[in-house]
Amino acid sequence: MSADAHAQLAAEHEALIQFLYLAPVGLVQTGIDGEIVMINPVSAQLLMPLSRDASLTNLFTALEDVAPELRHLCASFARPNGMICDGLHIHLNSGAAGKRMRVPHVLSLSLLKLDGSRLMAVLQDVSEQVRRERQLRQSDAWLNALLTSISDYALVGLDREGRVSDWNETIARVTGFRPSVVGQPYSVFYPEGATTTEQVQDRLREADANGWSLDEGPRLRADGSQFWGSAMISPLPDREPDLPTDGEAAYCLVLRDISDKRDTVDKRRKSVFCDHLTGVANRRAFFEAAELELTRNRRTPRPIALVLFDADHFKQINDRHGHPAGDCVLRQLGEALSLTFRQVDVVARVGGEEFAVLLPSSTLAGAEAMAGRLRRLVESQPVVCDGVSIPYTVSAGVAAVDAGESIDLDTLIKRADRALYAAKANGRNRIECWSEDRDANR
Amino acid sequence: MTAATDLSFTAPGLHGQLLQLNAEQLDRLGFGVIGFGADTNVCKYNQTESDAAGLNAARVLGQPLFTNVAPCMNNFMVAQRFEDAQDEGNALDDTIDYVLTLRMRPVKVKLRLLAEPGSDQRYVLVQRKL
Repeated sequence: MSADAHAQLAAEHEALIQFLYLAPVGLVQTGIDGEIVMINPVSAQLLMPLSRDASLTNLFTALEDVAPELRHLCASFARPNGMICDGLHIHLNSGAAGKRMRVPHVLSLSLLKLDGSRLMAVLQDVSEQVRRERQLRQSDAWLNALLTSISDYALVGLDREGRVSDWNETIARVTGFRPSVVGQPYSVFYPEGATTTEQVQDRLREADANGWSLDEGPRLRADGSQFWGSAMISPLPDREPDLPTDGEAAYCLVLRDISDKRDTVDKRRKSVFCDHLTGVANRRAFFEAAELELTRNRRTPRPIALVLFDADHFKQINDRHGHPAGDCVLRQLGEALSLTFRQVDVVARVGGEEFAVLLPSSTLAGAEAMAGRLRRLVESQPVVCDGVSIPYTVSAGVAAVDAGESIDLDTLIKRADRALYAAKANGRNRIECWSEDRDANR
Repeated sequence: MTAATDLSFTAPGLHGQLLQLNAEQLDRLGFGVIGFGADTNVCKYNQTESDAAGLNAARVLGQPLFTNVAPCMNNFMVAQRFEDAQDEGNALDDTIDYVLTLRMRPVKVKLRLLAEPGSDQRYVLVQRKL
């Protein structure tokens, strides 16, 4: 063989070895008794922590403690070749240890008998899949419970783009929409400002990923009246993901009128997600919503804006008029914010006199305009508390994530905070936007 | 380097000594040396290790150790030890019995895990058992 051909062969061999080293599943070849002949690194990664004698001589021995039945399973497999087990789940521990990294909870094992003397095994850490499946089963049960306990719901088929794919009586009963609703995006059931085009798609993607997507909020009937609704979207099973199914139902939307349950839902939600004084979202709700929106942004890029508001000279208001007056100011500010911004925006009280508004699908300029509107509204309407008129103003800092830009929530907050600081430093009762070049000193 | 310098697999204070060695000197050691930085990317890969694994250093250098080079060590027995030492700012000098899958054959080895709080450079040393 020529030196060149030899070098070529050596390079190919090396590449092949590296391919096996890096395969993200465990591959093992053993004798019929489990004696290991060949094994790749991921197998060692998964098996070494289980092996009592720190050796990997025999696959059955290595798995003895967690899957004692394997030896018998193979011995009693009568056919000359074939799948002995396919994706057998081996539970290693309670799963509690999984919180600490690198401790798998469940392994999946497939064993193929090649002939009377050889076995091939595939090993995989499936902890995450098992966790997701469990979640899915729970939501199935949940869905059943929901459906059996309610009297009426609209069952709406949606095509892949989220357009209503066909009409039926239930749609008319719950929403009043007639057959002409077919072909319209399901946002037709949402009042203006209660969702965005991107969110309409987000829910479909979430349904794809999790098996369902649930949200509650104001919904719209054909006659323009509103009701409090719960909407669950789930992908229809057994459809070919790549076939062109334009107009065909790909999702099922279950829309319920839960106006009568709203009080209970609201009460529960308020205790967990609302600021007790102002009624707007609390820090927890804000962080959850913001993380969700930023995650969605990474999947489907779109702008997101954040405005931080701070009541100017709030300490002086408290000192001069007393704390109840200060509370009045905060309540009115919360209310003004809720009225000014869209329903889809998240208004939250994030500090003593500090509020945050998260604006999905909004640019920096858009958010700045909204913030300006709020600032003028506050300036023009003094709070009246116990017959005393208390004028006050707010300052705001605005920051935004551009479509496709990847920054985390902490950074976004930090930027809005810098801008807010600049607004304070520049005389208060004003809006400043964060900018890279002068870091908020626009 | 004096003649008395002990550069065996079990030598005390080996972390500091390895830092002093150039690539050629590392290559001459009888055990495998994988050096990696704070980002876990491999920056040292000596000839002994390269021969045993069947991989040229060029395929390995700059790659994250626990995902792209030695996934077999990506568990609480090895990777977690380095991570804990890093998080807590502790020194690490432990020798454990392990099995590597060199060229897909299970090979019993001793691994020596070395890290020093003041240094970004960390090492996995590999001694094949006879």
